[in-house]
Parts: sequence; C-alpha cells; structure tokens
Amino acid sequence: MTTAETSPSPTASGVRSDEEIAARVKALEAMLIERGVMTTETVDRLADIYENEVGPHIGARVTARAWTDPAFKERLLADATSACAELGVGGLQGEDMVVVENTDAVHNVIVCTLCSCYPWPVLGLPPNWYKQPAYRSRIVRQPRTMLREDFGLEVPDSTEIRVWDSSSELRYWVLPQRPADTDGRSEEELAELVTRDSLIGVGQPLHPGREAR
Amino acid sequence: MTTREDLEPLLLRLPHQEALRPSGGDLSFETAWEIRAFALAVAAYQSGQYDWPQFQQALIAAIQRWEESGQATPWRYYDRWLEALESLMTDAGVVSPVDVEDRTRTVLQTPRDAGHHRAHREPVAVDPARS
Repeated sequence: MTTAETSPSPTASGVRSDEEIAARVKALEAMLIERGVMTTETVDRLADIYENEVGPHIGARVTARAWTDPAFKERLLADATSACAELGVGGLQGEDMVVVENTDAVHNVIVCTLCSCYPWPVLGLPPNWYKQPAYRSRIVRQPRTMLREDFGLEVPDSTEIRVWDSSSELRYWVLPQRPADTDGRSEEELAELVTRDSLIGVGQPLHPGREAR
Repeated sequence: MTTREDLEPLLLRLPHQEALRPSGGDLSFETAWEIRAFALAVAAYQSGQYDWPQFQQALIAAIQRWEESGQATPWRYYDRWLEALESLMTDAGVVSPVDVEDRTRTVLQTPRDAGHHRAHREPVAVDPARS
C-alpha cells in the first residue's frame, strides 16, 4: 500500500481504501440488480468461473508452511492473524482469524450460521453452497452425516467433529492433517495438495500424485 | 452457461493484458471486490447494456484519464475497470454518480453482517467420537 498521497480527504476521484471501493462495488451491484439489469445468480455464476483465482492458494501456502515449520505452526494456532501477517497475508481490520487443527482425535469444519462470514483473505470467495441455508443449518445439526452424504468425507467414528461458527468478528479456518507419504516434499509441492474444501473442513488434502490441476 | 472459453475472446480485446494476467496465464484477482466488479461488467454486457467494444473503449478512456491526472492515485486496474463500468451505466441512464455515492455511503454505514458481530469462541456443535 502506497502512502505517497497526502490528500486530506479521499474524494470520488481520489484514493479510496479497499473498504470504500468494496462498498462502492456492492452499492453498484445492488442498484443494477434492483433496476433489472442483471440478477444475483448471473453475477455469482460469472464470479464463480474465476473463484479459484483469488483464493485458496493463499491458505494452501500458509498450510504448507505450518506442515514444514513447527514453530510457525505453533504461532499460527496461537494467533492466526499475526502469523498470516508474517507471510504478508492480511485482511480487513477487526476481522480476527482463528485456525483450528485437525488431528486423529478431532476433525473441524467451519460454517457461518447466519450469513456467509468466511476468511476470504486466506480462502478467497466462499463457494455458493457455503452461503446456502441447507449447508448452514444441516452441518450444525448433522455434521457427520452431511460430511459423508454431501461431501463424500468419511470421518472415522473414533474422531470427534467440531463445527465452528464464523462471525464478522472472528473467522475460522481449518488446518488439515498433512497427508501420509509426503516426507521430503518441498513447501511448494505440499501447497499443491491443499484444497479449498480441506481448509473449510469438508474435504481432505489430495494424496501425493493427485495434485490439483 | 458462460465458461472461461466464452470469455476469453472478450478479455483478449482489453488493454493492459499484463494487469489482467499478472502471471501471464489466467486472470487473477487480488481481492473479492475485484472479481465482483469483473462479473458486473460482463453481466451488464450480456444483458445488452452495451457492446463489448464500448466497454473496451470506456476502459481505455478511464485509464487515459488516470494517466492525464498525473497518476495521482496508485495504479490499480480494477479501479479503472469500475470507473469504466460506472461511466457506461451513467451514460445509459441506469444510475447516476450521485446515486452511487449515496448508496456507497449507506453500505459503509451498515455494519457488515449486521447482527452477527459477536465472536463465537466455542464450537457451535460437537459430534463426539463414538468409540
């Protein structure tokens, strides 16, 4: 972020903060939809085409670092916001992130029960299903069943499932378990194994040899 | 349903390909609002608000205004993209700059995810281990 500008009050043509411009885009979208130019579904579908280009690769990078650097992992679990900042990953002020770690004993999954709060600086844009009432209510009531039936993720009976509700104050994401047989892999190679779904907790990282795209 | 392949011929006609594709390949976006602004411009084109060359020209003009302003603000492609879209929608009489300003202020004054500000520090649900 440049600070070369000293203009006292940002105007329509001046420097806008990310928050201001994000609000402007939201305002324009709302007006274009109200005035019948387009529908929310159209905008969502177009944005979805590129959703992977804004997103989870950042969370994948942070995850791979945590898998290879135990001290970093400790800092990430203690204070995700500042650990991510070490890697140049940040979000808007006041949006704290908490990372919850998957182990053999505990599997974590995230939701926003009221709307679609999502750790987007790390995961990019939320997938559409994340915003749907079906996911938001059922993952809380029947996490084990929903993970199996809707996401094909079999969580062993011996593993507890914890569901974490993100709000605008506090956003969760999941640190998945490092896949077996990945000794000697570089951080970059490991990042290739991390999927968006594994960071939400509705999937597992890929196994070696099955890298994404 | 629109695909990447459908969009590619449109995107190739836009100025500053290096800003659209910083890594040389596919488009990439730095923030969520950029991708939203991108989708709005394509959606307005698809609904017949303008021909694509009009958007192309509006974007070139917006970039030119920025250059002529002595580059007073930092270069951000999607700032100019949004300006181009707003200018076309203003010309078409769909919105006015005052409308957009007012609405933006309303958005800024509305707490994000109103009513959902409390931090939830415990799991909202736990399904215990069964063995």
